[in-house]
Amino acid sequence: MAITFQQVSFAYDAKNLWRHGALEDIDLKINEGEFVAIAGASGSGKSTLLQHLNGILMPTTGKVQVFDVIMSAGEKTPKLTELRRRVGLVFQFPEHQLFEDTVEKDLCFGPLNFGSSKVEAKEQASKALSMVGLDDSFLERNPFHLSGGQMRKVAIATVLAMDPDVIVLDEPTATLDPQSRAELAELLYRLRRDQGKTVIVVTHRMEEMLPYVDQWIVMQDGRKTFQGSAAELTREALKLEASGLALPSCISYWNQIATRFGLEMEEPCLTVEALAERLERVLQVHDTAEGGGG
Amino acid sequence: MRNKLLFGRSIDTGSWVHSVDPRAKLTGMVLYLIALLVVNSWVALGLATVFSLAYMVSTRIPLKYYAKAAKPLWVLMVFIFVVQSLSIKQGTVLWHIGSWELYSGGLSSGLIAALRMTLLVSFTAILTFTTTPGLLNQGLSGVLKPLRKVGISAERLTLMMGIALRFIPTILDETHKIMKAQAARGADMKELPWKEKGRLLVSLLVPVTVGAFRRAEELVLSMESRGYIVGAPRSEYHLLSWSKRDTGFILSYVMLVAIIVYLRFI
Repeated sequence: MAITFQQVSFAYDAKNLWRHGALEDIDLKINEGEFVAIAGASGSGKSTLLQHLNGILMPTTGKVQVFDVIMSAGEKTPKLTELRRRVGLVFQFPEHQLFEDTVEKDLCFGPLNFGSSKVEAKEQASKALSMVGLDDSFLERNPFHLSGGQMRKVAIATVLAMDPDVIVLDEPTATLDPQSRAELAELLYRLRRDQGKTVIVVTHRMEEMLPYVDQWIVMQDGRKTFQGSAAELTREALKLEASGLALPSCISYWNQIATRFGLEMEEPCLTVEALAERLERVLQVHDTAEGGGG
Repeated sequence: MRNKLLFGRSIDTGSWVHSVDPRAKLTGMVLYLIALLVVNSWVALGLATVFSLAYMVSTRIPLKYYAKAAKPLWVLMVFIFVVQSLSIKQGTVLWHIGSWELYSGGLSSGLIAALRMTLLVSFTAILTFTTTPGLLNQGLSGVLKPLRKVGISAERLTLMMGIALRFIPTILDETHKIMKAQAARGADMKELPWKEKGRLLVSLLVPVTVGAFRRAEELVLSMESRGYIVGAPRSEYHLLSWSKRDTGFILSYVMLVAIIVYLRFI
């Protein structure tokens, strides 16, 4: 078990007048090598939840365990350096954190902080850059002169360069163009499939992560309202939509078809191809049935 | 960082002081400043303290927040105390190290000077605690209006003030965010020794500065695209209205000044 939350609550400014709760009583388990996506309205506590994963925030009550590091409310903070290396956290708008005058230096910042040698850091930098689909010609460029999309990719690469075991991203696709979004989702999937990384991603567009995700977590008002696979998500669609979550249209589409043709018990088909195939079979059966009757 | 910095944050408790006209509050603060500058005896200081505490209590904001507001300036207080008490040579010698001598008169006036500074800082926090930045700015623009006669545009001044005040919390939040992001990349300001902190400050200052400029540019564009022209006649969304209570509010300060001036010159 890579990550466990036990009855975790968190409040900002816990001790003064501006106190406001952000997480309430969260229980959570995430296995190593899983692709997890977190959805929920703005202000539902998604970002706060992520920041508990590498000890940027400490729980106000409850216990968080990530690998062998235990962060428990009211107890002394454990040494976090190794945890921060193993859990790479990409914040919202990560391009705002760039500061060096070349992309390479910025990419080396993380690895050097975690004790890599200069040569190793440079190697990791170039590897990370190629992972996000940029070639080595970018190494010498000034990050502030890149386009917004390229800056985002470089910023994500700065975290990948640390070679973390768990990659956590807070809305990495926000404000990117459709093609970059698809590429990024694909990249995250490859990291999980080929390198066995655990990927945890917050997303507002559920449909772009849908094909890759093993587990969905839905947050509402600081509470976890759902955790499960896409199939389970589809089954609970009505309940979740009633609570204000906008689900991808392919889920509502499948649910409509399932109700119409009595397929509720089946594994939902959430891609265009799978759905087309399933529909073909449904319609054939339908035709034969009608033909037999007529 | 957000926990520590109280400056410029209003705390709404809905007390009557909150609803006093911002122009009255600003005028009151200036009068208070004058009164405190005149204070030079323990009696006057005592009176000012009672007056200040009465107002602080009536804002219904816990007193510890006023204490916190004065806390960042403690170095200044100590400095004022040391300079004042060493430079005044009246009364009896209490203490001497080498050529430095501490007189009883010096000690007393040093304490008064430091205490009135503390009082001043914590009391003027009433202004920012009980007034939202928007209202404060509107009040300031009202108070500065007479300056137009001497050719100074109150509008420009208050626009600058307003933008500066508005962006303090934003930039602090942004700084906080970037600190977290760099901590996630292994540069945790909390865990590192002082020498390292200096080196890593660059990783914080560059993004914050770049962010501030980006915000400034966006702000200019959005203001221009909505047709904002500095100096053009503008109407106000909330009209300030002066009531009897506001006059009373100012009168209480006038009385404070009068009594303290009287105490000084009798």
